[in-house]
Amino acid sequence: MTSVPTGDFSQVVTPTRVHRSLYTDPDLFELEMTRIWGQAWIFIGHESQVPNTGDYFTTNINHNIPVVMVRDKSGTVQVLHNRCGHKGAKVVEARSGNARGAFRCSYHGWSYRHDGSLLKVPNEAGYDGTGFDSANPCYSMQPLAQAESYRGFVFATLSPNAPDLKTWMGGARDCFDNLCDRAPEGEVEVAGGVLRYEHQCNWKFILENLNDTMHPMVVHESIVKAAESYLDSLPEDAVEQRKEAEIIPPFGASYEKFEASGITGFPFGHHYDGGKTSIHADYSVDPEYHAAMVAAYGEERTREIYSFNTHNVLFYPSLTIKCAVQNIRVIRPISVDRFIVETWSFRLKGAPDSMLQRTLLYSRLINSAMGMVGPDDLEVYRRAQEGLASPSNEWVEFHRQYGKDEQLEDRTVGGGTSDLDMRTQYQAWQAYMEGSIFNKVEKT
Amino acid sequence: MNRERIEEFLYREADLLDRPDLDSWVNLFAENGIYWMPAAEDQQDPINHISHIYDDRVMMEIRRRNFIHPRASSKEWEVRCSHVIGNIRVAPEDKDQGTTVTSNQHVVVWYREEQRLYACKVTHRLEVEGEDFKILEKRVDLINPSAPQQSLIIYL
Ligand code: FES
Ligand SMILES: [Fe+2]
Repeated sequence: MTSVPTGDFSQVVTPTRVHRSLYTDPDLFELEMTRIWGQAWIFIGHESQVPNTGDYFTTNINHNIPVVMVRDKSGTVQVLHNRCGHKGAKVVEARSGNARGAFRCSYHGWSYRHDGSLLKVPNEAGYDGTGFDSANPCYSMQPLAQAESYRGFVFATLSPNAPDLKTWMGGARDCFDNLCDRAPEGEVEVAGGVLRYEHQCNWKFILENLNDTMHPMVVHESIVKAAESYLDSLPEDAVEQRKEAEIIPPFGASYEKFEASGITGFPFGHHYDGGKTSIHADYSVDPEYHAAMVAAYGEERTREIYSFNTHNVLFYPSLTIKCAVQNIRVIRPISVDRFIVETWSFRLKGAPDSMLQRTLLYSRLINSAMGMVGPDDLEVYRRAQEGLASPSNEWVEFHRQYGKDEQLEDRTVGGGTSDLDMRTQYQAWQAYMEGSIFNKVEKT
Repeated sequence: MNRERIEEFLYREADLLDRPDLDSWVNLFAENGIYWMPAAEDQQDPINHISHIYDDRVMMEIRRRNFIHPRASSKEWEVRCSHVIGNIRVAPEDKDQGTTVTSNQHVVVWYREEQRLYACKVTHRLEVEGEDFKILEKRVDLINPSAPQQSLIIYL
């Protein structure tokens, strides 16, 4: 890894504003890919996607560096550079699958064990006496600088200097615990496939939107009204059967309601809205699920698990999770004005199928490119992308409730409609870009 | 089952989507009718696997109301489509499943000042109602259901 040069970005980031070039400048985008995506822990996948030896899943760790997550013979999940040690070809092309025994490069047939070490070079005698050393790790599929998983969620980083994953997650880690604790067996697994959604705008718009609680009642007014007006016209017992009636209307919740949910920010740019309450807080509890939870945890602990109710949690910059819904969205930039979002749904182990079915219904209604909510969000991101071409104002502002954020020991808390989330992100953005992000890290 | 009448029905349905006239289109569906666009190749299960769309009449009605709502910013753009239907095959009628009709459809969508092309295998299950048909299920299998999709605000 090349070391990240330092620099001063206070010209484009202030505590309450960022410069419009952050969304439009291709050179700045390239720097982000090295300095933010090249240093942060990036979400790669979930261990349940590779249950058996040789199972793999491929992705990019930023806009173009290909990696493969694979379970090796010892049962460890590895994250390897998907690059042949010979002339550099991508070794694994499929999105996922099983490599029996070894990975084999399709160019000259070099093969690699599941831990990435070089297994065999065809016709190897030709290298005799040339100084070529097949034991040199540069001829392997090299592991990333660091890879770790937390409760099955696998992250990797290109930076040897990043603190360990738990430290990096900080208090936002509670959200992974809450997601997994919502399973009677305390574990989740990927289920029901993936939705992939192309966004024609800068990748930061979706991160900024996650806890932007001033937008839902405006952007999603139409679908909330459409759903409510029709559901109101149906007989009550017909509506009770409809999970949509719980999922869609809260998007139109009032400013007061969102304010009450609060926003909590953490070092390294993570944050969530909600906690005591959120737009997912009033979902009915499936009696069969509740019984399984109480059997596993007892009544009191079960209530405690339900009562931690976040809306969107951001692990800056690559992952957002919904504990109460059991889905996640994975972000991958492509260029300054294009990125992909993948929505994965999770099964709560030990819960009835109805729970996964609700998760999938949510993902389909809200996060699908053909959904009722996602396209209106993307529409406004695109308008921002287009509007920011205007030189009339060089800045994007985030003053809401500035000066009211309360700094606690490991986190910052503020009102649910504050721009605390923006401030949290752009402090991290600046520190990543300036190369100071990991300067004073204390272990938790 | 009269093949000509089935073809005529498919063309009429496509016309309504081309315009688009969702008010009339929704009424082509039976009360328990379903519109399904899977998110994976050969997807078997609409409930335990994610789909792009899996709407019954209630969701179709919500979607229709959203489509014409003045505050739906993604729907402020003009949308027009052109369906071309070919390779129509009619399976023998089944008592429970109705008549299954498969076709290949190429749909050009004009949206957000861009033309896009969708290619799909469409499976209609139809029931006879008087002189006409009702759609029990319309299944639209994109040739690339698992590829990243762009916002699509209209049924194909
Ligand atoms: S590039 Fe992979 S074997 Fe030559
Ligand atoms: Fe939104």
